Amino acid sequence: MDTLVSKYANSASSASFDDADNLGQNMAGWDAASQFALPAFDIPMVANPVDFLRAHTDASAENRIRIQHGTTTLAFKFQGGIIVAVDSRASGGSYIGTVSLSISFTTSQTVKKVIEINPYLLGTMAGGAADCQYWERELGRRCRLYELRNKERISVAAASKILSNMVYDYKGMGLSMGTMITGWDKSGPQLFYVDSDGTRMRGERFSVGSGSTFAYGVLDTGYDFNLSIPDALELGRRAIYHATHRDAYSGGSVNVFHVKETGWVFHGNFDVNDLHWEYQAQPKGPIV
Amino acid sequence: MFSTYPGQVVVDHPVKVPIEHRFDPYVDNGGTLLSIAGEDFCVVAADTRLSEGYSINSRYVPKSVKLSDKTVISMGGCYADCLTLTKKIQQSMEWYHHAHGKTMSTAAVAQMLSIMLYQKRFFPFYSWCILGGLDEEGKGAVYTYDPVGSYERESCRCAGSASSLIQPFLDNQIGFKNQASQKKTLSLDQVLRITKDSFTSATERDIYTGDYLELFVITSKGVEVQKMDLKKD
Amino acid sequence: METLFGITGKDFVITAYDSKAVASITLMKIGENKSRELNPHTLMLFSGEPGDGVHFSEYIERNIKLYGIRNGIELSPRAVASFARRELADSLRSRKPYSVNLLIAGFDVKTNKPSLYWLDHLASLADVPFAAHGYGAYYCLSLLDRYHREDITEEEGIKLLQKCVGELRTRMILNMPDFVAKIVNKDGIRLVQL
Repeated sequence: MDTLVSKYANSASSASFDDADNLGQNMAGWDAASQFALPAFDIPMVANPVDFLRAHTDASAENRIRIQHGTTTLAFKFQGGIIVAVDSRASGGSYIGTVSLSISFTTSQTVKKVIEINPYLLGTMAGGAADCQYWERELGRRCRLYELRNKERISVAAASKILSNMVYDYKGMGLSMGTMITGWDKSGPQLFYVDSDGTRMRGERFSVGSGSTFAYGVLDTGYDFNLSIPDALELGRRAIYHATHRDAYSGGSVNVFHVKETGWVFHGNFDVNDLHWEYQAQPKGPIV
Repeated sequence: MFSTYPGQVVVDHPVKVPIEHRFDPYVDNGGTLLSIAGEDFCVVAADTRLSEGYSINSRYVPKSVKLSDKTVISMGGCYADCLTLTKKIQQSMEWYHHAHGKTMSTAAVAQMLSIMLYQKRFFPFYSWCILGGLDEEGKGAVYTYDPVGSYERESCRCAGSASSLIQPFLDNQIGFKNQASQKKTLSLDQVLRITKDSFTSATERDIYTGDYLELFVITSKGVEVQKMDLKKD
Repeated sequence: METLFGITGKDFVITAYDSKAVASITLMKIGENKSRELNPHTLMLFSGEPGDGVHFSEYIERNIKLYGIRNGIELSPRAVASFARRELADSLRSRKPYSVNLLIAGFDVKTNKPSLYWLDHLASLADVPFAAHGYGAYYCLSLLDRYHREDITEEEGIKLLQKCVGELRTRMILNMPDFVAKIVNKDGIRLVQL
């Protein structure tokens, strides 16, 4: 075990595999640092754990462990705060390069892709569903600890950096997460993009996932900072609808959230099939 | 500890590296599991066939385990992983009981299972889990998982080898998807009939499903187990 | 497709980076900061693997700042470059190497001389009069060879940089939005409009 541990401990930025057996279980001596230590994970006893995981989660694997994928999510800032809109489909199966073997199965049409980290922080979910759920829950725990220690809420910038740093320690090990962290703090509405590559950036308008290009098409052309709240909600909903229409990996229903100074508000779940017929019945209007 | 490498052989060789053979600790043992939540009950059902490739290794290996009076777990995939995972859950639930003097709620078991699966993110359990039970308000609850721990509460779910045959049927009959009629709440009797029909039909078309159907009915009175014959060919 | 530039002059270094953040085929953002101020007279520009640039440069930044706080004296640009190179070289020999290309622009307040260091992702370090990273290098190094002098003024430096950016806009197949330019001289680091 020591050899394995030192192998990981040598990495430039990772100290996450220290003494995997003791982490979190040694109740006798409480150590403040352990509160912020990264959780321990089981690693297969093979020379290269990364190759092991890839071999068993690859589309070509014999007994494939299918991890849920596929999404369209978006978030944008405007005069009234931030709109967050997402689809709700998870696809377990995937395509294989050649046509001969192709399994595509929608695992769920009711996935909650907006993760309510706490009453004033939202995270979106694209990529591995488990990776997003787990790490954003861990982020929620850390934000709460921050709040208890400092008697004030954590800024969105700091929260997103915590998430970015946590997943960066596992870079190259197969995590897959593309998320937007939004909220309202002392300096106003905040929007950050964070992914498992370690990228973290502040922005005005983001879309993430397999259907993001389609969502961008509608979002960019319909966007105006001075949009009213109902118009902004509608733009988010519509951009996701159009993405579900063109991207087979996206679908189900649209969930819409509005981030305000007082926290986030849920603005409903809309079945994309209902939206389709609603939009079909409407005239498309002039091109401005 | 490197000596515990699977397949490591120490030989006189100019280059001292461990010889590594293919490490493939997974096998798909087939089988189908299903769970449906009702207003004040929950049904967890699974067939009992254990197969490997074209061989049937056993006709009666239960896939579901009663965890408490309110919670039942059902798992499919690699049976060895399922056994380990079930033991881990049972042990943690016992520790919880000793520490807090009460039984874990279904929601707490559900969150715990998610974390247990994610702890093995880099060496996953090959298991499809469905947790069925009653929530704190006594309402039926179904929690479903992917192998690395993403989870969701739903009203009905089928997993395992015949899931792609049964799930669309459940969406139609339980979720009333794409139907003009209003959604109805189903009685326990109706749910049991749909469950049994699902399995008898799946047995006809899926070679990994069959032998027996074991049904766990969870109500406020506790967990009742029913057994039914399926075709054994 | 990221591009970084650095040009030394008589008493300054001018640097520039494209401010694009790209994920696959999508332009996620314009206005991304690809530089970090290591100390009041040293600036680091980075490109390469997403995530690595920010993490590596902030790691270097904090160590350099810590040195300044502990010793009450700034590290010279040369010392900063040596330190960064060594850290990158050590990381290359670890399980998870950083994959970043760097430019370090500094003004040595002791010798009153500007300096520019070019570092690639294999930790080669070179002290150069001008430098470029990324595809932009293929277009602009010849241009810099042709026009660069050791004693150019800040105005000339800005003009030279404008020539480089103009060349990219005419020849690169991709849309090249605004570059962000920063000058390092005896007064510190400041943004300039191209």
